Amino acid sequence: MEPQNDASKSISADEIALYDRQIRLWGVKAQEKLRSANVLLITFKALANEVAKNLVLTGIGTLTIIDHEMVKEEDLGAQFLVREDQIGQNRAQAAAPFIREMNPRVQLEVDTDDVHTKQPDFFAQFDVTIATELDFATYTTINAACRIANRPFYAAGLHGFYGFIFADLISHDFVIERSKSNISSTTQETPTRSIINITTKKEKEKVIEMVTKRETYSPLILANTSPLPEEFTRIPRRRRQVTPLLTCLRALWEFQKMSGGMPTFSHQDLELFTKITRDRHQELKLDIATLDSEFLRTFLQNLGSEITPVAAFVGGKLAQDVINVLSAREQPIQNLLLFDGDKSVAPIYSLHPFFPPEVENVLPAVLPVGNPIPLDGDPIATGPTMVLPHANS
Amino acid sequence: MPRDSYLKRSLGTLSRRIRESRVLLVGAGGIGCELLKDLLLSGFGEIHIIDLDTIDLSNLNRQFLFRFEHIKKPKALVAKEVAHKFQPSAKLEAYHANIKDSQFNVVWFSQFDVVFNALDNLDARRHVNKMCLAAEVPLVESGTTGFNGQVQVIKKGETECYDCNPKETPKSFPVCTIRSTPSQPIHCIVWAKSYLFPELFGTSEDNAAELDHSEDSDNSDEIANLYKEAQALKEIRRSMGSPEFAKKVFQKVFKEDIDRLRGMEDMWKSREAPKSLDFQKLQEESASVESTISCNDQKVWSLDEDFVVFKDSLDRLSKRLKTLQDTAKDGVNSILVFDKDDVDTLDFVTASANLRATIFAIEPRSKFDTKRKSPSIHE
Repeated sequence: MEPQNDASKSISADEIALYDRQIRLWGVKAQEKLRSANVLLITFKALANEVAKNLVLTGIGTLTIIDHEMVKEEDLGAQFLVREDQIGQNRAQAAAPFIREMNPRVQLEVDTDDVHTKQPDFFAQFDVTIATELDFATYTTINAACRIANRPFYAAGLHGFYGFIFADLISHDFVIERSKSNISSTTQETPTRSIINITTKKEKEKVIEMVTKRETYSPLILANTSPLPEEFTRIPRRRRQVTPLLTCLRALWEFQKMSGGMPTFSHQDLELFTKITRDRHQELKLDIATLDSEFLRTFLQNLGSEITPVAAFVGGKLAQDVINVLSAREQPIQNLLLFDGDKSVAPIYSLHPFFPPEVENVLPAVLPVGNPIPLDGDPIATGPTMVLPHANS
Repeated sequence: MPRDSYLKRSLGTLSRRIRESRVLLVGAGGIGCELLKDLLLSGFGEIHIIDLDTIDLSNLNRQFLFRFEHIKKPKALVAKEVAHKFQPSAKLEAYHANIKDSQFNVVWFSQFDVVFNALDNLDARRHVNKMCLAAEVPLVESGTTGFNGQVQVIKKGETECYDCNPKETPKSFPVCTIRSTPSQPIHCIVWAKSYLFPELFGTSEDNAAELDHSEDSDNSDEIANLYKEAQALKEIRRSMGSPEFAKKVFQKVFKEDIDRLRGMEDMWKSREAPKSLDFQKLQEESASVESTISCNDQKVWSLDEDFVVFKDSLDRLSKRLKTLQDTAKDGVNSILVFDKDDVDTLDFVTASANLRATIFAIEPRSKFDTKRKSPSIHE
């Protein structure tokens, strides 16, 4: 299919009519940034189906989907982009016609290679890489490649009722609009977030502030061994509220590293998995009483499964975050979101290797680099673009 | 592995109950399209879907079951056809109809195990809430605006219902609700305050905060008609100060425009058609009514009293505007603006809103109530 989208041209009247409702929400400038974006989506299962739908409807420039596996019968249970008569076809190829129908303006690229065969420089061509349903080692390898190329990276996955989104945006600048408060803003809002510029405009009677903030991130390999922020561990009540899903996800990755697969219900696997979760739980300084066997059992029961409502929620949240990042607006996920569909909660934990408490201008774990998506409009400093060698190799 | 392997693994025995259940989805818009997919793939055995709307270009950015070639087709029918492929073994029933129609009675509602609301207006939400309470069917209510949204489960005797807590009156209304199909007193008040008043005494209506133009493209023909009406009213404005002015305004907005609306039969299939008012008849009937009735702000005025206050306040405002224009410096465009604390403007809005309410068989309101319902334009 010929791409019908020419990023060099400004947005057309047809596009404004089509995207009317979302342009009312995030503005024409954001829409223009979206239509020139090139996004990579790895592994085309239920979660990626949702993310693809949301990004394609939004009108990004190009979506590249990569999957080397075939459609299996069980895929039909939660992957709405494939049908029964496509069993045995490549998953990405099978879904392509439906994706193109949803928005012919978006250019769709289908790659049937195994992502493990890709060289690090492959990831440099994309504005954002979204890696779904992979193992820990593959996530961290792709994360490292994205860091070298100075490109934002997301990892996300589902396990039945549970899901997660991890973001490494390296250093990301974004704008929020708010009415001006009587109280002046602090520069360092959190250990990872600082205000770098404020401009004001008058709207009717109100003074609106356009606040440019910068979030600084850590790669997955460091975040995965980082402690919870003190706000979650200092008070017993807050400690008890931390979802055991965090422990279980870390334990699962640890288990995969040790045994090369998912834990089964065999006595040996259960014993090992239980031991690892206990260790991870204690490492997080959480009370062992909050890691009950019932939760562990339910978590294991859901491993490797995918159900549509959970895929829709996590995929919706993930796609919206990507849209925000591409358009440099709104607070992005910092940096791990965990979704528990059983309890209907989605807490976000900011996991970074080292934060000396109460110190202004803490040195982030990795040096901030410039935002890959330049902000237009008012002259806002985006910082020098520094390409770092991978910090953890 | 079979297609329901993951459902069985995650849901256990619940997956069987889901397969055997019959559910109703009210609305095939932004939430409805998503929900239909989720319900089908979650294994619900029988899903009924109802929506009275047709597909518009501006729906396509989020209602992923619809394509360009589906524009103007009924949402419920297209949603059924496209989504059925997600789960061909499910039974789907689609209705291109209004959920408030009498065929969807309590008995009909009681056949469902769960009802899902994916609606865009308060009125239909309230109706489904009532029906579900009467039929004792659990209701899952939902809504979104911008980046926000909510879901509420409503079950008789166990949770609060949709109407258990008063809902804030929406601050803005679709233009067509205000100009063509009012159903509540507030619609008439907004019409008088944000359309009639500024067209006669102020600047154009287009910038009024209470008017939501987001659905304009969905109703472009009617919007064009409404624009013509507004232009005609501007013409009448030129005769302000003449003895015929009140009659001309009255005939335009309470007779001719209403007769034109009444002629659009499709609009009144599931609503009561408006009945226009007769100037001459009201003139005769109200001969004995004193204009001082306008001082009684607690009483809900009669139609005759509304008529007298309408004429009297129109006259007061016309004189004020003339004085302003006469004393204004060159090039200054004199206008009057509505202020709920300005008696002349409040009288005019109350009386006009009540005349309109009578036409649409809506309950009229006292001046006191109208004032309370009229947010100051400075807010």
